[in-house]
Order: sequence, then structure tokens, then C-alpha cells
Amino acid sequence: MRAALYIKKGWIDIVKTIMNNFGYFMKEARTIIKINFMSNILSIVSIGLILFFAAATLSSWWISNQVVEIIEDEAEINVYFAEDIDKKKVEHIINNIETLAGVEEVRLVDENEAYHRMEEILGKEAKVLQYLDDNPFSPYIEVQIDLKSMESVIEGLKNIEGIDQIRDNKEIFDKVRNLSSVLKTLGYIFIVAVGASTLIIISHIIRTGIYENREQINTLILLGAPDGFISFPFIIEGMILTLGGGLLASIILSLTLRYAYSVMTGPLPFIPLPDQKSMVTNLVSMIMLLSAVLGLLGSLFGLRSAKSR
Amino acid sequence: MIEAEGVCLNYPDGTMALRNVDLHIEPGEMIYITGPSGSGKTSLLKLFIGIEFPTDGKLTVLGQPIIRGQASKIRQMRRSIGPVFQDFRLVNGRTAIENVMLGARFLDMSNKKLKENAVIALKKVGLEKKMFSMVEHLSWGQCQRVAIARAIVRKPRLIIADEPTGNLDKDNAINIMELFASLKEENTTVVITTHATHLINNLREGRLIHIESGIIHQERLD
Ligand SMILES: Nc1ncnc2c1ncn2[C@@H]1O[C@H](COP(=O)(O)OP(=O)(O)O)[C@@H](O)[C@H]1O
Ligand SMILES: [Mg+2]
Repeated sequence: MRAALYIKKGWIDIVKTIMNNFGYFMKEARTIIKINFMSNILSIVSIGLILFFAAATLSSWWISNQVVEIIEDEAEINVYFAEDIDKKKVEHIINNIETLAGVEEVRLVDENEAYHRMEEILGKEAKVLQYLDDNPFSPYIEVQIDLKSMESVIEGLKNIEGIDQIRDNKEIFDKVRNLSSVLKTLGYIFIVAVGASTLIIISHIIRTGIYENREQINTLILLGAPDGFISFPFIIEGMILTLGGGLLASIILSLTLRYAYSVMTGPLPFIPLPDQKSMVTNLVSMIMLLSAVLGLLGSLFGLRSAKSR
Repeated sequence: MIEAEGVCLNYPDGTMALRNVDLHIEPGEMIYITGPSGSGKTSLLKLFIGIEFPTDGKLTVLGQPIIRGQASKIRQMRRSIGPVFQDFRLVNGRTAIENVMLGARFLDMSNKKLKENAVIALKKVGLEKKMFSMVEHLSWGQCQRVAIARAIVRKPRLIIADEPTGNLDKDNAINIMELFASLKEENTTVVITTHATHLINNLREGRLIHIESGIIHQERLD
């Protein structure tokens, strides 16, 4: 109980000292930054760039992941049949497909519907279809399936008589999924790289700052200043550098995303992109939080390694 | 307040700066340490602040043993000491008042109170007009007075001042000596080194400690 009270009082003292001296600490931090102005600016820029690359990789992973999820819901196989067979036979094929495990829905798409679908996909470019004399699209059977049973459904289809050709979108989303997992790994690697390099940069710059200020620090020690009091301006310095880098990364990232969205939504209207605003908000808060944590840790490392020498 | 028993200080190069010092200093005492240059005055003060450690004997300051391995306790002890260093140890690029305030920023004083006390301290050393001057633009004597103001702003229990009048003209020197003497009212202990014996000849109170080649001789003034 007494120990708890003691700790509490200690914290109150610390908070009081910080509040009383906040102006002083900020001024000190400014002075420390000024002494090594160029290297401070350079570290803000480099921290900003690595944070940006990490966030850019993560956001592309995010987007591709979303695309995978949406495509997965739309897993389907298109089954083409010989054009000269009669309706009855087509119905027979459909019934056979329906019996396969993993099939969710089977539907016949006739020539007209196939034409309209292409019109929709082409959008503005649909004019080209008008130059065609007659409808070049063949009817087909659209099979909605559970993605997990794609392989077995394809195997089953091969055994059904009257089927001419099977077209699935497995390849596409295998590709997207691979891309997504590569991006994910890359994102993690970048996060680790960001963490390590930011910590190294910050702790190095803090150590340099301490070295340049050694005389003043020595005086403070002789006056009996506690370590926390001496360290605080350096922690502020570290936080200013990483938060500055975070801010820089956030600005570049939102500009890049805005550009990427405007480029992607034009020619690729059917790619389902996550909402831009919520994505930017999420990424920016993630970047800022990460930089605050890294700034704190980096300064503490720097202070620690300076003290041990 | 300060207890020294058989304290010796040998520097690593073999210099025997202090030999067998026995000393008892009571709260509120005024101590003048004199002696020629190189006799060991600064070394003795360095021991009191815990910058150096006795190579032999026992030393306690404000109840804190001055021994290695107690860095944080010794640092805490220093908060009750107002030190005036021979080379002042002011922070360049700051004004006089900022330097004075630095003496008590971490001593549980509100910023407003701290500023008030700093102005009072600068007035006491006669430097209120130079309050907002950068210390590197001040003369040696003025820097010395900033250093003294930084020591008294802390309202310390013990003042340890190394030749605090060394760079002052006669009027200012007498002024500072009187200032230190007046701290007795607040029961502050003052330990001053000086080789200006002419200043001490005018003083009526306190104790005189003379050092010669690291050996002390004491006498009472009153
Ligand atoms: N850090 C040191 N290392 C070695 N010798 C020192 C050191 N500091 C002082 N001395 C020597 O110790 C003796 C006492 O010095 P000091 O205490 O500075 O004398 P004072 O202050 O009375 O002039 C001198 O001979 C001086 O050269
Ligand atoms: Mg000396």
C-alpha cells in the first residue's frame, strides 16, 4: 500500500515537473535539433520515405486482399456446349451439373444476355459491338460454385457428355491471391525494416545530440538533475523526428493513393477498390501511431546507449 | 552537515591533493577555506559535491556517504546543495535568467515561483539589468554573479562556492561576501574558498580553514 502510494506520488512529481517545464523542454529540443539541423532534416526525410514505402506496400496488400475476397464470392465456371444441340440436351447437361458437389447455382446465359454483359463490361467502349454484323456471342451455362470445390467440379464437368469447353477464372484469382500474399510478406518485411532503421536513425541522432550537449548535461548532473529531466528534451527530439517523418509519409501516401485511384477506376471499373477515405484515415492513423512508438523507443535506446558509455 | 575523518585524496597521477583531513561542519556555519594556488581547495570542494571520492578515510555530506556506487543518491544529495563552480559552468546560448532558473527547474517549484525567485536572486547579486543578456555576452565578473544567483535560487541547505569573488572588483566582492553571510539567517551552511585574505580580515563571524599542500589548519574568527 505504501509502495503504491509512493509510486503514485513519484508519477505526480514527474507529471508536475513536465508541466512546469514544458516550455523549457520544447526550447531545449529545438536547440538540440538546431545544433545538427541538416542531419535532423535528413532523418525526417528518410524516416518519411521508409514509412511511405511500408504503408504503400501494406495498402496494396489491403487492396489486393479485398479483390481476392470479392472474387472468391464470385467464383464461377462458364460451360460452353456445341451450338447445334437441342434445348432438351442442354437441360440434361444443366441437371447433370446440378448434381455435382460444390455447385451452388446453375443458369443458362443465352446469346442476348451474353451480348449485354459484354456491353456492360466495355462501358463507353461498347460502341465497337455495333460494328459487328450479328451477335458473335454463344450461349453458355454459368455455374456458381464454392471456390474450395473448384477442382472437383471441373473434374466432374469433364465427365459430362455434350460439354465443349470449360472456362474458369481460377487462374486470375490464383494470380491475385499470389500477388496478395507476396505483398503481405513484403509489407511485413517493410514494417520490420521501418522499425529497425528508424530505431537506428533515431538512437544514433539522439546519441550525437547528447555528445554535442555533454557539457550542459554534465552541469545538470552536477546540479543534481534527475535523468528523466535531462532526457526529456531528447525524447521530444526523437518524437518530433519520427512524427515529422510520419507526417511526410502520410502526405505522400494520400497523394499517391489519390492518383492511383484516379488511374485505376478509369480503365478498370470492375476492380472493387476499398473506400479511399477510410483507407487513408486508417493508414494515416497507423503511420502516426507507429512513428510515435518508434520515436519513443528510438530515443530511449539512444539515451540508454549514451548512458552506458 | 559535513563530517570528514582522515580523508585523503590522491589523484591517479599520484598527486596527493588532500592528506588526512578531519572536519566537522555544523548547519548554519560559515566556512572560509584559504590557501595558495594548488594547495587543494578545489579538490576539497569536489569531494563535498561528490565529483571526487576519498581515496582514504570517511566523508559524509548531508547524511550521504561520499563513496563510489551511489551515483543516484549522490545526485539526489546535490539537489540540496547550491554549487558555484570555479569555471561557473553556465549554459551558453541562454540568457542570465534562464541560467539561474536552470538551477531549480527540477526542484518542485512552479514556473511562476521559479521566475520570481530567479529575479530576486539576480537582484541580490546586482545583475537584474542583465537579466535578458546572453551569458556569453557578459563579463567574467558578471558570469560569476549569474553562477552565484543560480546557486542561491535553489534555497539550498549548503552552499559550496569555489572562489566566488575571484573575478569581482572590491565593491562587488564585499557585496557577495555579505550576501553569503546573510544566508545564515536561513540556517544555510556556506563553504567558500578564496585566496583573498583581505576580504576575510574584515569578517567577524565564521571559521577559517587554511590549506597548505593538502593539509588543513583551522581557526575561529569570532
Ligand atoms: N584532476 C586532477 N588530476 C591530477 N591532479 C590534479 C587534478 N586536479 C587537481 N590536481 C592537482 O591537485 C593539487 C590541488 O589542486 P586544486 O585542488 O585545484 O588546488 P586549488 O584549488 O587550491 O588551487 C594541485 O597540485 C593540482 O595540480
Ligand atoms: Mg581552485
